[in-house]
Amino acid sequence: MYKNFTTNICMPSGYAKKLLLIMKITTFLLFLAFMQVSAAGFSQKITYEKSDATLKQLFSEFNKQTGYNIFWSSKRINAAPKINVNFVGVPIEQALKTCLQGLDLTYKIEGKSIVIKDLPVDDQPNAPPKKITITGKVTDTLGVKITGASVVAENVRGIATSTDENGKFVLDVEPGTTLKISFIGFVDEQVVVSEDKKVYNVILREAKSQMEEVVVLAYGKKERKEAVVGSVTTIKPADLKIPASNLTDALAGSAAGIIAFQGSGQPGQDNATFFIRGVTTFGYNVNPLILIDNIELSTNDLARLQVDDIESFSILKDASATALYGARGANGVILVTTKSGKLGKPTINFRLENSISENTQSLKIADPITYMNDFNEAALGRDPTQPVPFNQDKILNTENTINKGPGYNPYVYPAVDWLKMLIKPSTTTQRADLSVSGGTPFARYYVSGSYDLDHGNLVDDPNNNNSDNVKFQNYQLRSNINLNLTKTTEAVVRFSGTFSSYAGPLTTDGTFSSDVYKIALHTSPVLFPAFFPADSANRQTQHILYGAPEALGTPYNNPYALLERGHKNSSESRMLAQLELNQNLNFITEGLAFHGIFSTNRYSYFDSNLAYNPFYYNVSSYNKANNTYVLNWLNQTPGDAEEYLQYFPGTPIISNQLYLQGNIDYSKQLHNHNISANLVFTQQQTVYSNASTLIDALPHRNLGIAGRAAYNYLGKYFTEFNFGYNGSERFSANNRYGFFPTIGVGWLVSEEKWFEPLDKIFTRFKLRASYGLVGNDAISDRRFFYASDVNLNGGASATFGTNAGYSHPGVAINNYADPNVTWETSKQLNIGLEMTLLKNLNIVAEVYNYNRYNILQQRSYIPSTSGLEAPIYANLGKANSKGLDLTLDYKQTINKDLSITGRGNFTYATDKYTSYEEPDYPEAYRHFVGQPIREGYGYIAERLFVDDAEAASSPTQIFSPTGKAPKGGDIKYRDLNGDGIIDSRDETFLGYPSVPEIVYGYGLSTQYKNFDLSAFFQGQAMVSFMIDPNEVSPFVQSTDAYIYGNTQLLQQFADNHWSPGNQNLFALYPRLGVNRDDIENNLQPSTWWLRSGAFMRLKSLEFGYTLPSNISKKLGLKNLRVYFNGLNLYTWSSFKLWDPELGSNGFAYPIQKVYNIGVNVNL
Amino acid sequence: MKLYLKLFCLAIIVIFSGSCKKYLDVVPPDVGTLDYAFRSRDAAENYLFACYSDLQQLNDLNRSAGFTTSSEIIFPFDLPSNPIDITGFSLITGTQNAGNPGLNYWDGTNNGIGMWKSIRRCNTMLANINEPADLTATEKARWIAETKFLKAYYHYYLFRLYGPIPIIDVNLPVEASTAEVKVKRMPVNDVVNYIVGLLDQAIPDLPSTIDNPSKELGRITAPAAMAIKAEVLMTAASPLFNGNPDYANFKDKSGTLLFPAYDATKWQKAADACKAAIDACEAAGLKLNTTFLPAPNVTNLPDSLKTVLTFQNALWQNWDSNPELIWSLSSIWHGQEYCIPRMTQKANQNDGQNPAYYAVPMSTTELFYSNNGVPINEDKTWDYTGRNELRVGDDANFFYIEKGYTTVKSNFDREPRYYGSIGFDGGIWFGNGIYDAKQAHYVAARGVTSLAGPKALEKTNITGYWPKKLANYLTVYDDGFTWTDFQMPVMRMAGLYLLYAEALNEVNGPTPEAISYVDNIRARSGLAGVVSSWANYSNNPTKPTTKDGLRAIIHQERRIELCFEGQSGWDLRRWKELQGVLSVPCKGWSIYESQAVNYYRAVNVEIPVFNTRDYLWPIATNSLVINDNLVQNPFW
Repeated sequence: MYKNFTTNICMPSGYAKKLLLIMKITTFLLFLAFMQVSAAGFSQKITYEKSDATLKQLFSEFNKQTGYNIFWSSKRINAAPKINVNFVGVPIEQALKTCLQGLDLTYKIEGKSIVIKDLPVDDQPNAPPKKITITGKVTDTLGVKITGASVVAENVRGIATSTDENGKFVLDVEPGTTLKISFIGFVDEQVVVSEDKKVYNVILREAKSQMEEVVVLAYGKKERKEAVVGSVTTIKPADLKIPASNLTDALAGSAAGIIAFQGSGQPGQDNATFFIRGVTTFGYNVNPLILIDNIELSTNDLARLQVDDIESFSILKDASATALYGARGANGVILVTTKSGKLGKPTINFRLENSISENTQSLKIADPITYMNDFNEAALGRDPTQPVPFNQDKILNTENTINKGPGYNPYVYPAVDWLKMLIKPSTTTQRADLSVSGGTPFARYYVSGSYDLDHGNLVDDPNNNNSDNVKFQNYQLRSNINLNLTKTTEAVVRFSGTFSSYAGPLTTDGTFSSDVYKIALHTSPVLFPAFFPADSANRQTQHILYGAPEALGTPYNNPYALLERGHKNSSESRMLAQLELNQNLNFITEGLAFHGIFSTNRYSYFDSNLAYNPFYYNVSSYNKANNTYVLNWLNQTPGDAEEYLQYFPGTPIISNQLYLQGNIDYSKQLHNHNISANLVFTQQQTVYSNASTLIDALPHRNLGIAGRAAYNYLGKYFTEFNFGYNGSERFSANNRYGFFPTIGVGWLVSEEKWFEPLDKIFTRFKLRASYGLVGNDAISDRRFFYASDVNLNGGASATFGTNAGYSHPGVAINNYADPNVTWETSKQLNIGLEMTLLKNLNIVAEVYNYNRYNILQQRSYIPSTSGLEAPIYANLGKANSKGLDLTLDYKQTINKDLSITGRGNFTYATDKYTSYEEPDYPEAYRHFVGQPIREGYGYIAERLFVDDAEAASSPTQIFSPTGKAPKGGDIKYRDLNGDGIIDSRDETFLGYPSVPEIVYGYGLSTQYKNFDLSAFFQGQAMVSFMIDPNEVSPFVQSTDAYIYGNTQLLQQFADNHWSPGNQNLFALYPRLGVNRDDIENNLQPSTWWLRSGAFMRLKSLEFGYTLPSNISKKLGLKNLRVYFNGLNLYTWSSFKLWDPELGSNGFAYPIQKVYNIGVNVNL
Repeated sequence: MKLYLKLFCLAIIVIFSGSCKKYLDVVPPDVGTLDYAFRSRDAAENYLFACYSDLQQLNDLNRSAGFTTSSEIIFPFDLPSNPIDITGFSLITGTQNAGNPGLNYWDGTNNGIGMWKSIRRCNTMLANINEPADLTATEKARWIAETKFLKAYYHYYLFRLYGPIPIIDVNLPVEASTAEVKVKRMPVNDVVNYIVGLLDQAIPDLPSTIDNPSKELGRITAPAAMAIKAEVLMTAASPLFNGNPDYANFKDKSGTLLFPAYDATKWQKAADACKAAIDACEAAGLKLNTTFLPAPNVTNLPDSLKTVLTFQNALWQNWDSNPELIWSLSSIWHGQEYCIPRMTQKANQNDGQNPAYYAVPMSTTELFYSNNGVPINEDKTWDYTGRNELRVGDDANFFYIEKGYTTVKSNFDREPRYYGSIGFDGGIWFGNGIYDAKQAHYVAARGVTSLAGPKALEKTNITGYWPKKLANYLTVYDDGFTWTDFQMPVMRMAGLYLLYAEALNEVNGPTPEAISYVDNIRARSGLAGVVSSWANYSNNPTKPTTKDGLRAIIHQERRIELCFEGQSGWDLRRWKELQGVLSVPCKGWSIYESQAVNYYRAVNVEIPVFNTRDYLWPIATNSLVINDNLVQNPFW
């Protein structure tokens, strides 16, 4: 600029130009004065005239006149030519400039000194860059504004912004700067700022396919999909939105690679069981690692998570993807991050849902008369000498009760439909969810709260002043705050709390309401009524006169009394506080960043129980003539019955978790080479309260360093190396640390030149593969294998002395020390193919082969004679699993009103034992090796015995010392080894595994104008389960300790069982019996009870309507959508007794079918 | 700012790297290991108790083959749920099997105790006994002796069940190889010699009496160990193990014969051991308990009832004052609640908790002699054929049978031990809260409406006979259940005397010395001597004069005197008589009938199944697969 000015000054010019010039000069001088105010303060004038003066002479003269010390390097100024000067009252700056004119030198005044130095190459000294203010707007190709797109000046630090909610940005930049505008899912654009253009409207093209998205990887690292070489499936949070208060129930069929099924429909207890790529070990821990915002949490925490709060949901499946989790990643990882605030005004999202749910399928129970007739058949059929359980008088009178005939009495001759009495056909659930998010350049926030209210399906009884029904409430609060502390430092503060409370009937086993359901299924319909109206003797009685069986000892099994007698309240919470720090370390080197997490959370649970001891009565005499009865109080032992409430404290459970993580990230792009690397350090500790043993009370810890190095060339060839180096508290010092390396490669074939001809068909085509090791240290419920576990104070007590008065608790060995026990390791190979066909169809197909070794297993050859008090274990087992994951995605916009999307996925996972220490059975069919994990095991049922004679002459089938020999109509098993005895040597592997080998899901959704409709189907195949005869066999005592009654009779069994009158050798149920020992033969696991668990169901169907934007705007809303949806609406299966997803737990709380209405509002 | 960041990074690195080494050492160095069990005398005493622990579990007679397989007591099987583990009781119905054996003491399953574990504990104790510094030499010697005794007893218990067993003298290390752990079964003689050898080592260091009964009653003494040694040698001399032709060719895999040929000298060894044990016991002040001191509130006690109580008292009297008791496992036996019929209205209302399941089959009731001291089927004066006819209680039998109550003839004119052992319909049940003998309870058991009669199956005595001997007369079943405890003997003087008598008869035939030991026991219960009783009343008067005859008399005497004490199951096995006993159905009365004429019709309540193979337990098939050096017992 100075140069321009000096040349201009010699040029002839017009007046106007002159004026301008003067102004420029003035500006400049002012500017100088402003910038160098200190120097101006010392400014003095020079008066000096000399010809052929050297610079040295001039500088010394200046020094004399002004007092400034002038420093120079003689080497520099000696070369300068001599000049003639004539200064008259010229300021020193002017004088210096004149002296240095034409030389590559400049000066700098610092205090009382002047330094003469080289002129900067490009610039004139002290010339500030000129910035111009530009504005712009970023939109997509359809003109829709893009909020949050980043606008970054390339190669200039600190010049960046992002677009506001209108897609606009303002930025001060120097002309000539290159701006990069980018947004997730769009192709980056670059513009060069020119001096005379102030407005830049940028249109971003959508990325070539929808797959061009960001994937969240281990430790929350975000990576473009293209660059991922491991196997990672991302589920769109919207696809997890089902009308149920449990997230895990949505997992089945929603992502390739997840095997999931739900074993119970009970509120609060309805978590699905899920595995990544099936069960890949027969070791202790088969569950995936669950991380929510990088913190390892439980299945329950995942289940309670609100879908609306989820930002991303990733499933890391292969060694490369999970390697950073080293010792914990062998079973796959589920990684969830929650939403953060986005720049802009507050956005409010509100959702309200109300659901009605009912059983997908209810059990059919036979009527009381059939119950009694079949009970008689069962008892007398086994032992004709027994007294008749229900005589004709009882049956006729009960029939009279049912028909409400003349003089009927439902109390003396009860016929109780317990299920109907206690269980409602349907129940309701309410859910509400509110979130507010937004942000300023300094801080962004996402705050949400939700409330779920699930009701059980128990009947509210007017007799009770408590509400009997289960009420399960779940509150959740979450706050994620991002603070930009400095330009390079970001702090993230996360607080979340999940609070659930249960109120409901007292339960014996803590499983909430299902035991009422279960007890009802195990209570005779005809032995006693739920309660009696007061007879003449009990007019003054204050308490309810509960019915009870005359024949049974305490505790009585009246499900109504169990429901009414008391109340349980429990409360559960997890509170989490997490601080994250993201520090850009560009000042050390470009592309370096630090990321640290400190997180702690506390889980607590407590409960309280209140109950009275009910009074039980039965009818001691009945006067048929005037239809009156006299009651007999059954439980008269003092203390057995009390009218007042008693209190039973529960056991509180508290645990505290502490997590520390530090990452160093580095990434650098050098032309076509992209390098990135990370190093992660983690440590985690969990401490439990109320630990029962010292071993459990010690903190649970692990520690790890993990690293990743990735390189890609041209965005086309990708390679990645990962390792996890983990320490586990479980192993001896020699085995404490495990190293788990993996390598992965990817090739974006469609980017190759030669691929262009195929571009029309394959919009995108990528191949990738990975191979590596991952570990698992959770190999047993035992913690420290290197330390023996000896109970020095119990386990083998003895008592001596008069009246057994002196005792010692004895010593028992719980476990022997074994320093050799080490990690379970999985060697995993994964090959994947990703392609986009015809722009709209995305396909991801992956095959894998995992070899798990060092699976901890009990040594099988230790004979009893060794006398060991605890089994010995070793890393002996091996298992192989392989399978296929397939994902399809389709999106078609037909016109601006109509669009269709479809998705489908398919998971096939098989596994088998490849090495298993077992005794050398002479029978080949008993060996585990080669068999699938979790496959059924039992006898092969041929048919039922024709008659007692055949049963007696067949191979012996007695299975325990208390069992009885079978009779006609009992199950005949195949004598596999032909030794004439049916025993454990004749058992073999049966059917498919109990975990499905195939799980699939597919759905279609369409949008037409403001209406949307979607349907999703889900199913499983290649799965078997066994009806548990111990549970369903009618009339016998339940095996559950807390259930004392006899099992009810399923209608299907009543209709189709072997009896002398129906000698069907393939009847649904074999010959009846009334006690366990009599029918022990039929209780054995066998193909008789084996069923296919395959099913397909219409998992969800949703119809929605979005208010047109012009109307919603008038209402002051951004968006409003009303929707109706349903869950588990219809099921196709060959199994008819109960919902096949329950598997063998047919008497569990049924899976629910839900009808839901919801509204979602955005403000 | 830069400095701050650099410091921050440094701090993080220091924090993380510094804490790594110790971070995973979660287990503190002083967590308890087995070494701590022997650091001091007190800790070692605790371990000694652990060695005793499994032994004391045998106090639960439901686990005992001697108690449950003798058909002295049977258990109803068709209950919807069982208050006890009925595995043992069910074995006599033929449910024993090799796939999943009942009372499996080899593996510790199905209500058996894993006795190899008990042996390992004893070996651990012996290996570490020198560790505690503060253990005195005398105490150490005693503890070593006790542990050796226990080790011997556990081997003996397995020997009785399985015959030839492996001998585990020292523990194999935990990391022993597959080949090492595959132990072999040793021949019967080796096993017996090993057990006897251990006992011989133990006896000198054991105390002759317990000086501190309040703390140590139940610990083994020298006389008790000698009595057990006598029992071991008696077992080895008995037909099951001594020249048993059924097992003559039973070999292990290397061809070694596991059972010995008959050796008559074993009886002499047994007799010597019995005599030595008797001498040691008598020297320690043990003798037949012939004195019964009634409780202070007992009134109107006639001599007849006193004789009954004197017999029962040998079992019931508190151990520390009971001169007859050589050894019991605990001063408390649990199970009285299964033995007492409902005799009061309150008990009837309170019927759920104390069901009298333990039912005595008629075969056992008929073992007891007539009041003339001879078997009822030999007594010339006793109407054996008409024994199931009805008869009404009269004045003469006032203290045995309710006056005016119709019962059956077989309840009349029996020896006092019958009235001391068996409760029956119409029988007087002295005690249970009423201590005036004239007002005593009686059992009314006919039909569902009677107090003691059948209610629901789970509170029913299925034969109509109760094991009265197992219920102390001071125990009350009324409003609730109030226990007055007693101890179940492993060995009492009467049993030891009868062992000696048996051995003497086997060695020398019927001698006055042998008979005198039997007569002493009979005398306590008011019966005349064997010779005179048989001479006067038996239709086989010369029976005591032959070896076989006297053997039969001693066997029956033993079964009567020790009835319900968990002995006869073992005795019948070693005598090889169990198969005969279990070849007849277990009978009871028609309990649902309320009229005497209908009630007193005998019905079969259980058909026992017993084959030759059942004399020894099967080893679980799976154990044979795991250790292929083992051979299965014959016929399994």
